[in-house]
Amino acid sequence: MIRKNCSALLAGLAAVLLPVALGMVFFYAPMERTMGMVQKIFYFHLALAAAAFLSFFVACVSGIMYLLRRQRIWDARLAASVEIGVVLTTLVLITGSLWGRPIWNTWWTWDPRLTTSLILWFIFASCLILRAAVEEEGKRATYSAVMAIVGFIDVPIVFLSARLFRSIHPTVIRSSGVALEPAMLITLLVSIVAMLIFWAAVFRLRCSQYTQESAVRDLQQQLQR
Amino acid sequence: MSSLKQIRFLLGKDLRIELRKKESLVAMAFFGALILVLMNIASGVGKQVDVESGAGILWVAILFSSVLGMGRVFAREKENGCVAALLISPISPGEVFIAKALVNFSLMLLSQLILVPVFFVLFGTNFSGGPIALIPILLLVNLGFSSAGTLISSISAGTRRNEVLLPILLFPLILPLTALAVKATAGALAARPLSELSGQLEPMIAFCLIYSAAGYLLFPFSIKED
Repeated sequence: MIRKNCSALLAGLAAVLLPVALGMVFFYAPMERTMGMVQKIFYFHLALAAAAFLSFFVACVSGIMYLLRRQRIWDARLAASVEIGVVLTTLVLITGSLWGRPIWNTWWTWDPRLTTSLILWFIFASCLILRAAVEEEGKRATYSAVMAIVGFIDVPIVFLSARLFRSIHPTVIRSSGVALEPAMLITLLVSIVAMLIFWAAVFRLRCSQYTQESAVRDLQQQLQR
Repeated sequence: MSSLKQIRFLLGKDLRIELRKKESLVAMAFFGALILVLMNIASGVGKQVDVESGAGILWVAILFSSVLGMGRVFAREKENGCVAALLISPISPGEVFIAKALVNFSLMLLSQLILVPVFFVLFGTNFSGGPIALIPILLLVNLGFSSAGTLISSISAGTRRNEVLLPILLFPLILPLTALAVKATAGALAARPLSELSGQLEPMIAFCLIYSAAGYLLFPFSIKED
């Protein structure tokens, strides 16, 4: 009962906080001097990126835990976080492109961060394809656990190798981050917190869906016997 | 038997099968040469490519052809039901991984003995660097690609769509290695000394170490059929 309430609480909190964050982005945070209105996308772009990276980290940890413990709940957590992570990374890439087009005058450039998120997107999307291709439950869980782990340990190498591209494209702005206006910083923090709570709500929901799904399948098998 | 002897035994077995049937090697070399010819035509007949594009073309040919051979190494064991036999044998799964990775490594190396000369015949007229300078880069990529590839092919061979899944799962993982290899190869083709390429070679070594270790640790999980 408490667990169920917790999910509802998270979802409710996210439903309140996300509009608040959106309102703050447009009415509280000051207009950026050089970039103007376009810069408003930054708050959600960064929040999405933080939540996406968190999901891949959770996927890797769940993968390790599944291989060690062989409990279904870890497979459900892995599946949920990979799914959410792929969706969020897609949104990060889209918002980044929309921002980059007017500011960098290009939809895409091979900056280390962009490259890293694109390659992560490919790796974890391929993990989803793998999950769809395997029907046996134990196999699917083991295989996707291995994929999530090797995908996550790729990150440092991807980042190292992506430094190559900087020399080709030196005209990339770094994160406009460090010296943020206090009002901007507060808005950013609220957006990140709202996004993380939203992440937790979706994650819990998806996990319990997976747990129920396998419980139903168990029942089905028992009835057939 | 000591583990070194066991690994050598498995490696010898797989190479002997390959030398008798020649199914992977012929396919790899043929397909790779085909890609090189295609690329030569696609980049415009009679035109010279610069070192950067040349390096890219060489690696596309090598990686695409290597995937063909890599898919067979486990598929062959699965078809004959030999994975279970490997698992109940006194050889530990980690040693099986090393042996299989070495098989893939040798297959890649053997096919490159044909592909690299073909590449230089088709594209090499205005490169100042020769094939000898490529050897360290080839060895490093082979090591990284075969350790990551062996792990992934043990996964894809367990599914019903081995040939489709292997490149889909493997290529995203080796994207960074490919990027580094292309950059380093472009340097080598421009006859730059090896010491100047350390900026690319060091991350490549790191990639090889990470994926050899990850493969050795994770392979026992992915090979078991539960």
